Amino acid sequence: MEMKFDGEFMIDLPRKEVFEILSDPEKFAPLFPTFHSMEMKDERTANLKVKVGIGKIIATSTTELTLEEAIPPLRARYVGKGNVMQGAYQMNSSFNLEEVDGGTLVKWQGETILVGKILSIAGGGLRGYAEKEINKLITSLQEALSPEAQAGKLQAQAQSKGWFSRLIQFLFGTNKQETSTSEKASSATVESVSYAPHPADALALKQESKQKINDILNVKRSEKKLGRKEDKRLITGQGLFVDDYQPGGSLHMCLVRSPYAHAKILSIDVSKAEALPGVICTITGKEVAEQTQPFTQIGPEPSALIQDFCLAVNKVRHQGDPVVAVIAESKHIAADAIQLVEVNYETLPAVISCEDAQKDETVLHEEAGTNQTWQGVYEYGDVDKAFNEAAHVIKIDHLKFHRFSSTPLESNAVVATWDKRNEIDFFCNTIMTVPIAMIGPALNVRSDQIRLRTHDIGGAFGNKIGNYPYMTLAALASRKAGGAPVKWVETRSEYMQAGGHGSERNFYDTEVALDKDGVITALRSRHVDDCGAYPRYEPLGCVIWSQVLPASYKLRNVCINFSQVVTNKGPCAPNRGYSRLPHMWFMERVMDICGHELDIPADEIRLRNYIEEFPYTTPNGCVYDSGDFPGLMKKAKEVIGWDDWQEKQKQARAEGRCLGIGIGTTLDSGTNNFAQSQIINPFLPFSSNSQVATIKLDLDGSISVSVGSFPQGQGHETTASQVVAEELGLDTDLVHVKTGFDTERNSHSGTCGTYASQFAVTGLSAVHGAVVKLKNEMKKLAAHSLEANEDDLEFGIGEQGPEVRVVGTDKGINYWALANMANYNKASLPEELREISLNVRHTFVPSFEAPDVEKKYGNLTLTYAMQLHIAVVEVDTETYKSKILDYAIVDDCGKVINHMIVQGQIHGGAAHGLGAALLEIMPFDKEGNVLAGSFTDYAPITINNMPDLKTANMETPSPFTYSGAKGMGEGGGAPLHAISAALQDALYDKGIVIQQAHNSPMALYEFINGKKQKPVSLIR
Amino acid sequence: MSESIQLVPVSITVNGKLYQQEIEPRLLLVEFIRETIGLTGTHIGCDTSYCGACTIIVDGDPVKSCTLLAVQVDGSEVLTVEGLEQDGELHPLQQAFSQNHGLQCGYCTPGMLMSSLALLAENPDPDIKDIRKRLAGNVCRCTGYQNIIKSVQAAAKNLRED
Repeated sequence: MEMKFDGEFMIDLPRKEVFEILSDPEKFAPLFPTFHSMEMKDERTANLKVKVGIGKIIATSTTELTLEEAIPPLRARYVGKGNVMQGAYQMNSSFNLEEVDGGTLVKWQGETILVGKILSIAGGGLRGYAEKEINKLITSLQEALSPEAQAGKLQAQAQSKGWFSRLIQFLFGTNKQETSTSEKASSATVESVSYAPHPADALALKQESKQKINDILNVKRSEKKLGRKEDKRLITGQGLFVDDYQPGGSLHMCLVRSPYAHAKILSIDVSKAEALPGVICTITGKEVAEQTQPFTQIGPEPSALIQDFCLAVNKVRHQGDPVVAVIAESKHIAADAIQLVEVNYETLPAVISCEDAQKDETVLHEEAGTNQTWQGVYEYGDVDKAFNEAAHVIKIDHLKFHRFSSTPLESNAVVATWDKRNEIDFFCNTIMTVPIAMIGPALNVRSDQIRLRTHDIGGAFGNKIGNYPYMTLAALASRKAGGAPVKWVETRSEYMQAGGHGSERNFYDTEVALDKDGVITALRSRHVDDCGAYPRYEPLGCVIWSQVLPASYKLRNVCINFSQVVTNKGPCAPNRGYSRLPHMWFMERVMDICGHELDIPADEIRLRNYIEEFPYTTPNGCVYDSGDFPGLMKKAKEVIGWDDWQEKQKQARAEGRCLGIGIGTTLDSGTNNFAQSQIINPFLPFSSNSQVATIKLDLDGSISVSVGSFPQGQGHETTASQVVAEELGLDTDLVHVKTGFDTERNSHSGTCGTYASQFAVTGLSAVHGAVVKLKNEMKKLAAHSLEANEDDLEFGIGEQGPEVRVVGTDKGINYWALANMANYNKASLPEELREISLNVRHTFVPSFEAPDVEKKYGNLTLTYAMQLHIAVVEVDTETYKSKILDYAIVDDCGKVINHMIVQGQIHGGAAHGLGAALLEIMPFDKEGNVLAGSFTDYAPITINNMPDLKTANMETPSPFTYSGAKGMGEGGGAPLHAISAALQDALYDKGIVIQQAHNSPMALYEFINGKKQKPVSLIR
Repeated sequence: MSESIQLVPVSITVNGKLYQQEIEPRLLLVEFIRETIGLTGTHIGCDTSYCGACTIIVDGDPVKSCTLLAVQVDGSEVLTVEGLEQDGELHPLQQAFSQNHGLQCGYCTPGMLMSSLALLAENPDPDIKDIRKRLAGNVCRCTGYQNIIKSVQAAAKNLRED
């Protein structure tokens, strides 16, 4: 983390005198506000002790402060370095002096660079702290340099200040000799590097920068067609994200959150907060428990007994668990007020690991009596027989998939208005209609009292399904505040604690049976998922992974014992590749480990195991619609230059370099059959799936479409308009698709949303069905008007705009005239045509059957898009840093509706996977403290870490969709597979088997150097 | 606390228009832009200067407005994403981002555009390394950056040719 500050102030002393003080470490060092004592190391360097405190954490730190630069009488620069609270810091401060009217203008710049755990401890408050400390330093400096101080007038006052009195003595003791020393010392530096331009030059530079910006703004402009329908508003700053919605009279909600991972709430005192002017009200868990029902639990008993409210009641279960809501006139007042809320806690042991959770020694939810939310065995074929007959058996003791998140840049947010007419409006960024089903019963309101709407959403990647507790709380806040809109916008540090991360998964005691050729015949394993403190959307993940049970491979005998636990970490939410991604990483690891143990190359073992014939029914009844794995591999090898890299690898190994090539094959299962939820809980009344679209010729004949999805960058306005335009023979400019989602458009069902890679299938099928219905209605009216046969009509553009005409003639009727007939001129129509509204709604329902819940068997998803990635990675064995040297992706999502959008999704999914593989992790300490408290610790992948991607596409159309398209937005996380594989290949001669999905330099170092036993054994 | 906060007068020119306001000294520059004067194109993504969604141009230089106080830019000239379009005509950089699919959800886009503008003002012909270096402080979670690089290169080409 890097923080920079600057400023200036005037001193009524000549510049030379000011310089003398500033360029003397012995005088400068005691100015530090928490200065304790010092020793001079040499004439330029002081070792000083300071006290550093953030909140209640106070530590003593030793800083080595060096005068790095002294250019008399212009400039002095110091560098300070030290360690504090499991972190390190470097401070640079420079002072440029200008003569102004006999006095001196001191222009200062301060820069602090911090690394390590200190950042997590301080969270988002660090900048404020640093700023405060720097301000104190500058104030001390101003005081110390004032003529009054010089004249000794502050002596008496100074004595009571301790360090300040010493400072005065330092400053005004003997300084003539020291001045000459510093002048001597600096005479050398004048010739050396100058770190900042002279003030006059700086001004000139500023003018130059301004001029350059003006020049680039005032360039020639011309009209050009844009890429997507969504883009115009987003590139001009006219998007409407939740925080951009600022209705008049809005109030703001801030949350008091738990500092502990697990604790009893002993008492809460909100009186001081409520007394602060501008605070409207507060809400505590007690009120929430009295006024609302606990949220519906998806799991069966005992996890169904969990009492989950929108605020913690009696007890907190993760760091960041919301405890009190404060509602105020402004967010600043609300933020001030939460500091005044007093909460007393009694801490409890924190349950952090899956292993500890399973012991049930400490139970998070007493009402459930166990930390286990779900457990079940998925068994298919004859596993024992296959193991008995196997040529080889390989055991893998533990594989670990870490907790991370795609961290949408826009955090969870809502503006809720629960007005006195008892209607609730949510302007929010949720991504499916499920919140209505969660919020309605909790607040005891009917669905039709809830208006749920979105506009632009700044990314979601599944995470924002977890927004509903906050939406519920904001609604309660609005009601309590008398019906005013209440805005809540999650801060980044709140997101890092509790915003909905992807779950962690552990794979234990895996055994793999293979035949003599390395074909896997059976697999046994025990998988434990960790969903954090509250299940929320879980335990659905306990079945969703089984959509890809055998991954890309033809094994038929499988036994997986799957369970899930709660722990004292923030609640999880679906994250891009939800639940399938960890499983496919596991299967790819299994494949590479088997290849490694049996000495079969990674490409070869895959080719021997790939599913070859489609449609393919998996052991658990899922139907893979179409695909060509060997074809994907062949193409990916061409794209990356496989043979070339094999040669380069040989050379690298000969030179002792660790270069690895890894393959990741993955599936993106799309359009889920909600009946799979019954495998989790047979009492859930859900099955199949449906998506809705409405389309109308509006009053003036314009075409207006609305969909039931909650787009967040996937370009639904663009692709929906493509489908409509193609059917009507028009340009997409003439098709208007409503932005975002709104229950009042009546274009939704209970399963509508943007999740599970489906819009290209369900959303566009609904749009297609709707436009076909609309065309039928238009034809009826046109046939009447043109006195023609419906079968003789066609759609296109005529002289008077979009029209329906008799094929091959200029006899047509335009959309305005058709809309007029249906909307304004009913009497002109015969009785049988008067019901035509040119306003139609279509519900697309994929053909799913209910699964056999007992046997856990059935088709759980409609389409399977595929990707194959190849990564070339070099590991520096000194730093354990992995560098991606080359990266190829080939995708197949069936018929592509829009190549630009599909490619964009592939790039984005790859970035998430690469980030998670090499950089991103949500770690906790054993007390449950969040160790990645900000983006600075979490380090989401940037343009600098992202390799150039080489991509290619194949199309094997899906036989199950009208267009042949497959859903593909989640991507399947192949970079995690490919990077793990490449690292293992790179470290092949060190006997390393990569067991973890996260391989940052530190993780890789700890893994390689911490292992005592071989985690993999070839037992036959 | 809030009742004792003294307001401070500031004069800040944003997109060529002078705003004279009395503000709380603690008001962040991004809050001044988004809430005080209502230009919501500039976004907040991380609160700590990592993500760059709040990047704007102050006196010719790109800065992250979520960690500057509004009072610090008193007397300055600010350019935000809303200032790129002129008389209803898009800037070539905006067009390039759209045509090359350099945005998906669009949340990072305003900051990305402003950092790119500053880069191109400084260097009309940046190579990929220059682009990576200058946009390293802008996070995009949707595009995987490939098309952002392409967009900036395309904009640079168009600007050089026009």
